[in-house]
Amino acid sequence: MKIKDIMLKNTTSVLPDCHLGEVIDIMAIQRINGIPIVDEEQKVIGFISQHDIIKELLPNYLGIINSNSFITEFIQLSKKMKEYADYKVEGFMKKNIITINEDDNEVMAADLLIRNKIHHLPVVRNGYLVGIVTMRDLLKAMIEEEENDKQEETQ
Amino acid sequence: MITTVTLNPALDITMELNQLISNQYNSVKKVSRIPGGKGINISKAITAFGLDTMSLGFLGGHAGHFIAEQLREVGITTNFWHIEEETRTNVIIIEQKQKIHTLLSDPGPRISQRDLDRFMSIFSRVMAQSRIVALSGSVPKDVPDDIYYQLIELAHQKNVQTILDASGIHFEKALEAKPLLAKPDLRASGNRVFNKPVDSQETAIKIAHEIVNRGIQIAIISYQDTKDIIATSDEIWLAETINQQVVNIIGTAEAIIAGFAIKLMEEKKEDMSDIIKFAMACGLASASTDEEEFHTKDDVIRCLPYIKVTKLN
Repeated sequence: MKIKDIMLKNTTSVLPDCHLGEVIDIMAIQRINGIPIVDEEQKVIGFISQHDIIKELLPNYLGIINSNSFITEFIQLSKKMKEYADYKVEGFMKKNIITINEDDNEVMAADLLIRNKIHHLPVVRNGYLVGIVTMRDLLKAMIEEEENDKQEETQ
Repeated sequence: MITTVTLNPALDITMELNQLISNQYNSVKKVSRIPGGKGINISKAITAFGLDTMSLGFLGGHAGHFIAEQLREVGITTNFWHIEEETRTNVIIIEQKQKIHTLLSDPGPRISQRDLDRFMSIFSRVMAQSRIVALSGSVPKDVPDDIYYQLIELAHQKNVQTILDASGIHFEKALEAKPLLAKPDLRASGNRVFNKPVDSQETAIKIAHEIVNRGIQIAIISYQDTKDIIATSDEIWLAETINQQVVNIIGTAEAIIAGFAIKLMEEKKEDMSDIIKFAMACGLASASTDEEEFHTKDDVIRCLPYIKVTKLN
């Protein structure tokens, strides 16, 4: 399977000077968990996920999420969010990110996602953003492939 | 890659029933929900040829999400700017008994200056990976009259070829940016271009010449369902559909535009008459089906013998 046949063909992306508040707006309105950051030529230069944003604003949130102090920490997060809303995303994005070529296969994508403990892989053609692939897309493609194989066997 | 722009997309909901009776419960026999909009239809036709295409514009709300998902389902890449208000919905009621079609058209969402700025930024970036861009269809309220002019200028700055399919003031203003190909939407403008009627071959030729004289390389005037005039700076052609029944003209113009875009993408340029024949076969393939677009390359190839192209000068 080629990545171009599996990926989500959505190239929603933002420029590095986009404000954090707007990035969160886009994620909410488009129902996505992460956004590639591109340059003026639509070439991928970074990535930011909602997880990255929360981690940046509340570095120890994973440790406190089950503790009694979570409510106070949440208020802290809310205050910080308002404070950071006008900051540029370039200060928060992950740089030197891993991408995958649209002609690569699902095994390589799975390997990159697992080995690097990441959830999204921007897909590129000659460096230009052409889509996004996640583990969910890979699992969906694997199930569909198995169903197709079963259908072929019964025919 | 061929990029298409649909500034005012719609979710077209078609409901078929025997007869619509006012003030009564009406049971609908068949419902279809299809993403609509000229640019979207062009992308669909290009995808049928197995070529890469990206669809841009404005989407909003549940209808917007539905449209984007449907487009990606058929292989179109989406990069829409999502707005706060809901994308418009058109309801088409087909009464089978008396063959009555009723269209209820939604006025559509408002586009803010911020929305417009964000869309322009997306458009400018996407031009870096595009070779051709098709700018097509109506323009939402609050969007400036010279929007297509601005987009063509941006595309030309990035050496992207431009195709324009619009009407009225948006069409006329955009011509000043000299798109490569221009086709006025006569249905939307009441068969008038430059405030002149287009109702015969002679008037179609005059208008085509006037467009070309404004610096546009290819002008197309679809003055009848089965007849088109195509003009370049030194040639004029008549393209006709012969011995073939037209079933549904909706989507035909977009299929013709897709045909030209596909041929203009090719490295090896064919003769103009062959390009015209191919584009018109795309239009006929669309007109030969109940749906808005043809499905496969074979549909187009089957239609080629039914297109007659004649050089008029």
